Amino acid sequence: MQPTDKMEESAIYERRVFKNASVYHYMKIALILENEDKRMNAAHFKQLIISALKDLYGEIGAAFPFDVLKFEENTLTAVLRVYNSGLVKLWSALTLLGSYQNEPCAVQVKQVSPFLLALSGNSRELELD
Amino acid sequence: MFTNLEKCPRNLLVCEKSCFLNEKSRHDIHVAKHYFNYKVSVLIPECGVIPSRLRSVVNGFTKYYLVRDLPVYKLLEEEFLEKVASKGSIYALSYNTKIDQDNTIALLPTGQLILSVDKDTYEELGLEGQVSEYNHRQPMRYVVTIDVTSKSVALGTKRYKRAMWALKEKMPLRSDFLLARHNIAGDEEGALQSFLSQHNCKELRPSVSIQTLKDLPCPSLDPASLRGGGELCDPHQFLEWLGAVTIGVKCDNEASNFVSTYCCPEPQGSISQALLCTVTGLLLPEDIHSLLEELRRYFDEPKFTSWLSVTVHGFADSPISWGTTEHGYHKGGENFYSFVVFKNQDYWLHMGTGTNDGCPP
Amino acid sequence: MAVFIDLNISHTTDKKRLQDIIETAAHLGFSTVAINHVVDLQQKKQEIGKPKSVSELFDQFPIVQGKSRPIKVLNRLTVVVSEASHFRPTNEFKSYDIIAVFPKTEKLFHAACMSFDVDIICIAVTEKQPFHFKRPPVNGAIDRGVFFEISYVPAIKDSTMRRYTISNALSLMETCKGKNVIVSSGAEKPLELRGPYDIANLGLLFGLSEGDAKAAVSTNCRAVLLHGETRKTALGIIHTMKKIQPTMEGQEEDNAPAVKRAKMEAV
Repeated sequence: MQPTDKMEESAIYERRVFKNASVYHYMKIALILENEDKRMNAAHFKQLIISALKDLYGEIGAAFPFDVLKFEENTLTAVLRVYNSGLVKLWSALTLLGSYQNEPCAVQVKQVSPFLLALSGNSRELELD
Repeated sequence: MFTNLEKCPRNLLVCEKSCFLNEKSRHDIHVAKHYFNYKVSVLIPECGVIPSRLRSVVNGFTKYYLVRDLPVYKLLEEEFLEKVASKGSIYALSYNTKIDQDNTIALLPTGQLILSVDKDTYEELGLEGQVSEYNHRQPMRYVVTIDVTSKSVALGTKRYKRAMWALKEKMPLRSDFLLARHNIAGDEEGALQSFLSQHNCKELRPSVSIQTLKDLPCPSLDPASLRGGGELCDPHQFLEWLGAVTIGVKCDNEASNFVSTYCCPEPQGSISQALLCTVTGLLLPEDIHSLLEELRRYFDEPKFTSWLSVTVHGFADSPISWGTTEHGYHKGGENFYSFVVFKNQDYWLHMGTGTNDGCPP
Repeated sequence: MAVFIDLNISHTTDKKRLQDIIETAAHLGFSTVAINHVVDLQQKKQEIGKPKSVSELFDQFPIVQGKSRPIKVLNRLTVVVSEASHFRPTNEFKSYDIIAVFPKTEKLFHAACMSFDVDIICIAVTEKQPFHFKRPPVNGAIDRGVFFEISYVPAIKDSTMRRYTISNALSLMETCKGKNVIVSSGAEKPLELRGPYDIANLGLLFGLSEGDAKAAVSTNCRAVLLHGETRKTALGIIHTMKKIQPTMEGQEEDNAPAVKRAKMEAV
């Protein structure tokens, strides 16, 4: 955190610049199952991701917290929150996840940002046709 | 060996605190210079029904056009510049073009045409430009700015003719565009319509969605304390909460919860209901300015809330973000700003941006 | 920064499946893919034939996600060689846009890097790397504009192969310092494909820097295509006429710049 150029002028004006001060990164993802009839709740979903992390990084490597902030059962889309230091690991574990209950699956990462707010306004989702 | 797995790309958050009534307040400049806006969302605590004046402001946002396969030189033609562009503020941004992969073009109301192009296009065009700030080992992207308002590239000059020739004959760039014009009073629509009628074009209205959110925990805010600190939440925590509310994340989890431990920052109060109004499309700074003015007037009458917020998201694939600062797409193209408007006309302005972007002004 | 490219979609005679994979690739944001025909010359009766014209795949090629253009599809030949005599460029080679070689021994790796007329050298991902990557051949390949390819799909399918993939990739990076690497899929099914940014992130596990990892799915693949163009046209400067292939509508548009690029690159 680097607060900079505090301006003089009127007492009320204040400006601060925070560089890399966000503690977390946020990911918007979708799980694609080959068997589209399969159902899953948020807890199962999180368990699936945890086991993907363990597969790739082992017990210790995978021992960092992340949150499933939002999960929609009917579309299998989710919003995850992870500490910056865990982003690359979480992301790569999601990429290498290839099966769920012995059936093929894939995780598509739709958006990644250090701002949760940015996930509510992604212009790449704009469809006008 | 794996230390780089814990690193993250850079991001910036610039926060300002000021008062709308302060003569030196730059809020209007910030709004005017964030040219290409994709979405605006307004959150008003303790409000169940959208006030009619606010409704008419959001419904009155300028319409925009999707113009198919437009040759880029058309935006530099004398007729266009004199009859269409000079009679209002014109905004055009290439559509379905990705700044991390494709040629991306923007026309600003200042008269600047900005082309962010790949190496091949740049070499073929033969126009003078700058190497993009966001290249890897070798330059693969260049930015060409053609400013027809400057003397050296004005209509009829050698350089203007050269630019026209480059775009018309040498490398006939074409693209789909989103285009809109903020009209000045007394201007005739005719010239714009006649320009559009020459092309395959679709008229679009910004889409408005209104929701009422119920029973939200909400962090306590003190207008004097932008940084938070002490007991209050810091700007990142506040923006995280704002994001959580906007996308419908549950904000009251226990620390022991398996799925999510996210919780609204302390100290917190609660809101029985809140209005969330979102407008999406190619949104003009002029309209956002009117929206902000209307929101300031919200506190003319006594209200249960002491603040409200308005967030504006820029286009992820715009070649510029803050003013004419070059914008790129690293792992994302986020560029947004968010006002918190307080009852006493104080405000906070948060400007957030990702890796391939300059520092907000 | 260039468009995203996956130069390794496994060829199959199952047309429907190939279409599905290509559709998924377009949906994930890939602008160009190459169908990979693998020939292992050690096995008897293996012959290099001409590939089917890609125009037979679709009447209308799928549109790349978020763009107004259709995906471009190319043909690639990968020759698996375990003896020097195996690698004999024939006339058939010319009908492929890209030529890759998968050398099984150190000697052949050396030859592939230094003299084989190829665009890509495949790195083993389904077995432990059987020889060391020595600096002279690796640098030789880099100087000649030949690229090393790591395919990620085996790492998704099997945890042992995942270990091989990562460790072989890391030892390659120690030698090549992240230069001239492409990461491609090797997908046999749509669900095996991942998005460009996912692969760029995965590249960090392979020891690539952020910039090199992104280049491995974009800029470097573009360089491979240019290399292929120049190889096909012998000296690379001859190609001045636009290829007219009336059967390949939709493809044609994208073809033209590639031809032009090859020209410029060679000058």
